[in-house]
Amino acid sequence: MITASDIQVRIAQKTILQGVNFTAKPGQVTAIVGPNGSGKTTLLRALTDEVPWTGRVQINGQDTSAYKPWELAAVRGVLPQAATLAFPFTVIEVVRMGLMSGIHGHNDTIAQRALDMVGLNGYEKRFFHELSGGEQQRAHLARALCQVWEPVQNGSPRWLLLDEPVASLDIGHQLLIMNCLAVFAQRGGGVVAVMHDLNLTAMVADVVTIIADGHAIARGPVADVFNDQTLSAAYKCDLRTNTVPTHPKAFILPQVARLSCSAV
Amino acid sequence: MTISDSISGIAAPSDRRSRARQAHIWLALLLGVVSVVSLATGPTGTSLWGAIAKLLAGEPLTAMERVVLWDIRMPRLILGITVGAALAVSGAVMQGLFRNPLADPGLVGVSAGAGLGAILAIVLGALLPVWAQDVAGNALVPIAAFMGGWLSTIILYRVSTRRGRTSVATMLLAGIALGALAGAVAGILVYMADDRQLRDLTFWGLGSLAGATWSKVLVAGPLIGLAVIASLFLGRGLNALALGEATAAHLGIPVQRLKSASILIVAAATGAAVAVSGGIGFIGIVVPHLLRLATGPDHETLLLNAALLGATLLLGADIISRLIIAPAELPIGIVTAVLGAPVFLWILLRRRGLVDL
Ligand SMILES: Nc1ncnc2c1ncn2[C@@H]1O[C@H](COP(=O)(O)OP(=O)(O)OP(=O)(O)O)[C@@H](O)[C@H]1O
Ligand SMILES: [Mg+2]
Repeated sequence: MITASDIQVRIAQKTILQGVNFTAKPGQVTAIVGPNGSGKTTLLRALTDEVPWTGRVQINGQDTSAYKPWELAAVRGVLPQAATLAFPFTVIEVVRMGLMSGIHGHNDTIAQRALDMVGLNGYEKRFFHELSGGEQQRAHLARALCQVWEPVQNGSPRWLLLDEPVASLDIGHQLLIMNCLAVFAQRGGGVVAVMHDLNLTAMVADVVTIIADGHAIARGPVADVFNDQTLSAAYKCDLRTNTVPTHPKAFILPQVARLSCSAV
Repeated sequence: MTISDSISGIAAPSDRRSRARQAHIWLALLLGVVSVVSLATGPTGTSLWGAIAKLLAGEPLTAMERVVLWDIRMPRLILGITVGAALAVSGAVMQGLFRNPLADPGLVGVSAGAGLGAILAIVLGALLPVWAQDVAGNALVPIAAFMGGWLSTIILYRVSTRRGRTSVATMLLAGIALGALAGAVAGILVYMADDRQLRDLTFWGLGSLAGATWSKVLVAGPLIGLAVIASLFLGRGLNALALGEATAAHLGIPVQRLKSASILIVAAATGAAVAVSGGIGFIGIVVPHLLRLATGPDHETLLLNAALLGATLLLGADIISRLIIAPAELPIGIVTAVLGAPVFLWILLRRRGLVDL
């Protein structure tokens, strides 16, 4: 369980997040959605101690500040929105960096299987910086997967905290990755993912938090939170939620004709 | 999946790793060979082989042989090994810390800072009361060089790194400024120096292993040995740092501690090397670069290989410096510059495509 209460983030005299409460349960995919600049990345960074924050963040019932760095690394893998890499490492070398937090033996097997999972079989020896944007993103995801390879360790769940894991992927790979995440959750792990694609979110996520202007304006099961009013208010445009009889999950349709109204 | 598929899939990742590990052995052997050549080379007619034959036969060495081999060539050999290892390792650690293959203590003013520390110690140390000079003794110059290197590394890091990202342009420019400042202060001190000190000082400009003594070895050796051994524990951390500070932290690396340790190691190794041998350039940038080309950037193997290759190359340069205008000898800094500068230019040429320089 990840619980964050009353999170406030101020950077350079500017309040970026205010009074945000957030929870994520193991066994579920928890999505964070909201417009550009609303504070999604900042929330994830507060959860992972990358920005100064006030409030309280607990992972598996223990304050994050009470963990040693390597203990935290054994509990959660993190994928930043933009990752960099210095020096010409190969793909497999990058993925193996995820194994550093104390999993011994079978290293290469795990790294190899993580690459298979994200559809990068055969890319092991390629130079990381020669991959395309989407391939690099999937390689980084494989690294995070390696880090928390077993979704449950010693009876406590492990976590994946991902900032836009499918942002630059084509639709086939989006589905592949979202499926990986869903499987990770089904096997007892917890997934927190910042998402932009509302339809993908509606399809895969169990629970969603909407962030707008630095506040969590809605929180709950996707079916409850994704409704016309909430979404339209959050994104300041006209969005309609629909379902088709043959498919249980909702899909969201922007009302193109009205888009220009809010742009004035 | 066929058997050959699975073999190639598993063999692939370990390729560079096993090559890098084999390199430990080859480079150690090479260092051994070059060490013997270094012991056997010199302007006097003294023969290493003759001396060994005598020792094996149980005959005593002549006083000349003992002085040349034991008091002149041996400390020079050990100093060459330690200084070469120190320069290459501090280059590799600094490049890992700054996440940039162009970071090098010589290039970005750390050596200059260490040199300034050493000069301060030489000139102002003479102003200390005699008992304090006795106590501080030989250690004063290396310690001051260490402090100078440490301060300049910290200043450089503060100036050029923002939120875990290093601006290369800022780093290089700050390095130029630091080097100029250290040079200017050193220039002032030179005016204050007396003749004997002046002789000590000119030696820094050139960089040389001549004048190696056992007392220099005893002062620099332990400091460099400690720094090089400590650096071997940074491999994992520096690898993770290549992904950025935040990601390294998420991988369980105590980033602040890693950075402080790296800075201390660079300062200790550079400071000690500069204190005993002056400014020898290019080893710190050329050695890690060649190794990255050959065996990849994995710091877990790179650091030990850098120590071995750095020591080997510096000994090689030292041998050349003793032979090329024998019986006189060329300052080794000139040899490393003549050989290293073109390699450095070639590195820059290869990186031209990268706009982020
Ligand atoms: N280090 C910083 N300094 C100043 N302002 C910042 C900083 N980081 C974020 N902000 C501001 O905080 C707000 C929220 O940023 P954040 O990155 O969390 O948005 P986001 O919801 O992830 O947006 P996107 O969908 O574009 O990724 C933005 O207005 C941004 O300009
Ligand atoms: Mg973001």
